[in-house]
Amino acid sequence: MTGRTWLEVPKEWIASFGEIVKFGVRVIGEVLTGRVFGFFGEGLRQAGILILGSALVIFGLAFILGLTCGLEGAYFSRSVGAPAQAGIFSAWCDLREVIPYAWGYMLSAKVGTGIVAEIGAARITDEVDALEVMGISSMTFLCATRLFAAIVVFPFLYIIAIGFGFFASYLAVVEQIGEVSSGGFFLIFWMFQNPPDFLYSIIKAMAMALAIVVVGLYYGYTASGGPVGVGTATAKSMVLNTVLVHLIGMLGTQIFWGQDPRAPVGG
Amino acid sequence: MTESNRPHDQFAEPMETHVAPEEQTGRLPSSEQRDPRGSGDAPVVPTHEDDLTAPEAPQAPDRDSNEEVPQNIVDQTRKGEDPYLWHTGLKRPHGSTEAVEFIDVYKSFGRNTILNGLNLGIPDNQISMILGPSGTGKSVCIKHMVGLLYPDSGDVLVHGQSVPNMEDDQLFEMRKKFGVLFQDGALFGSMNLWDNVAFPLRQHTDKSEEEIAAIVNSRIGEVGLAGATDKFPNELSGGMRKRAGFARALVLDPGIVLFDEPDSGLDPVRTALLCELIKEIHDENGGAYVVITHDIMSARRVADYISVLWKGRIVEQGPASELFDSPNQFVRQFLSGEAAGPLGME
Repeated sequence: MTGRTWLEVPKEWIASFGEIVKFGVRVIGEVLTGRVFGFFGEGLRQAGILILGSALVIFGLAFILGLTCGLEGAYFSRSVGAPAQAGIFSAWCDLREVIPYAWGYMLSAKVGTGIVAEIGAARITDEVDALEVMGISSMTFLCATRLFAAIVVFPFLYIIAIGFGFFASYLAVVEQIGEVSSGGFFLIFWMFQNPPDFLYSIIKAMAMALAIVVVGLYYGYTASGGPVGVGTATAKSMVLNTVLVHLIGMLGTQIFWGQDPRAPVGG
Repeated sequence: MTESNRPHDQFAEPMETHVAPEEQTGRLPSSEQRDPRGSGDAPVVPTHEDDLTAPEAPQAPDRDSNEEVPQNIVDQTRKGEDPYLWHTGLKRPHGSTEAVEFIDVYKSFGRNTILNGLNLGIPDNQISMILGPSGTGKSVCIKHMVGLLYPDSGDVLVHGQSVPNMEDDQLFEMRKKFGVLFQDGALFGSMNLWDNVAFPLRQHTDKSEEEIAAIVNSRIGEVGLAGATDKFPNELSGGMRKRAGFARALVLDPGIVLFDEPDSGLDPVRTALLCELIKEIHDENGGAYVVITHDIMSARRVADYISVLWKGRIVEQGPASELFDSPNQFVRQFLSGEAAGPLGME
């Protein structure tokens, strides 16, 4: 047999996925064992880069999508003769689905690809080897510090992003459409969500963030083949991250709200 | 045609008669007397036994004459029929201990064999050059020395310690003996020049910022970059990046400094200046300097000891003055940069 069998492709995918998981466990280990604190300054620098480079974009996107959710919810609830129920749509749309997905997309596009490009460029310009021959673990210095920065910064960024989404929905439903009062909107809005939902949303988004950062670190750290290789690695990371964002999003919704809507909808 | 007429056999006689000062006193201190294939303290002999079984051994010229090599020998090498025809493995004594030693090292990447039984010694306190055509495994050699790559078989010794057998912690400790100047300097893009040079000191020493500043300013001054300390790597020219990389490589006073093609991308004047700088700093600090290059002018300027590498094996190695007079046609062709000879475009 000269050609490859059809089984080889999925086998390669599984093998690659296994490599990424193994790599991820190693990097997470560098953070959890505290070795990353040997480069605490670099970790803080990476945290600063994440805040300055990504925060505004994420907040802006969350605001726009919050507006959209508010508008659609307001018109839909009007169409069924219940404009006062517009808060239901805003609550679910913002917290459970749209903001987590927007978060995942934005992180994939901005943070994940950025990590691949930075570390990949360091790899092909011998910076990684330079670190190693200085007796410094490149895995800790380049990868663990970025993961540490993500762990420190992302929960706060996400919580603020949710705030932007909520505020935008309020503006659309109460200030723009204006068929429900502020008090009426918030009564329904808070009735259809509670603190555990907020926690679940954070878990869902942080799982996405962890996957995106690990995938970015893996493809950057293992990049080879010059600038073209780095470009290819960046594209591969984007594809895999997009898939992972949807898988994690779907699993999160199924696990947290699949059996119980956690809302007063009866049934 | 007899086996003794094979091109590398012409060196058997001078190798047997060449006696190092240490041998005259009855001591055999370093591996220049060692058979690189592991037969102990036997005198150096050509090691390419594969050739001895070749059916058609070409006629070689008298080593003392300037007679041209017969075309059939050149053709045989150029056609790749016997790529190791000229590899005598001759290791002339350098009169020093060995800082780094490769013992029968093999390394392949997929189906490409890069190092194919490499036996190489790097003398201490000398500037050594590993010369060879592009793609012959020179940079792979450097990566083996610092444990960035491991051999498929064979051993690499640094000051007598086996690199492939080191634990991670030992390896990181061993690497502190090295300073490496990568081809483009490999400066960290996120740091300015000063911080790049200070980085190893901050990571590996307990020195105060004042002490670090004194060392860094001194090193930066030595390489002539005192006016560019706040510049980032992307604001520096290629030559400046190399000099900055040199300063960073020296900052921990390493015993072994490796230069991976320091002349690549530099004009002839800057190459000459960089070579002068390497020589000056070596004169001041000592240690084993290893320069990887294929630039013959650089070799003439700075090399104390030269190893010619081709197709993953040493063709010949020895003190620069002796190697430039080598009767080996391959070495002669390469060190004179001539088109005519065993080395073709393949």
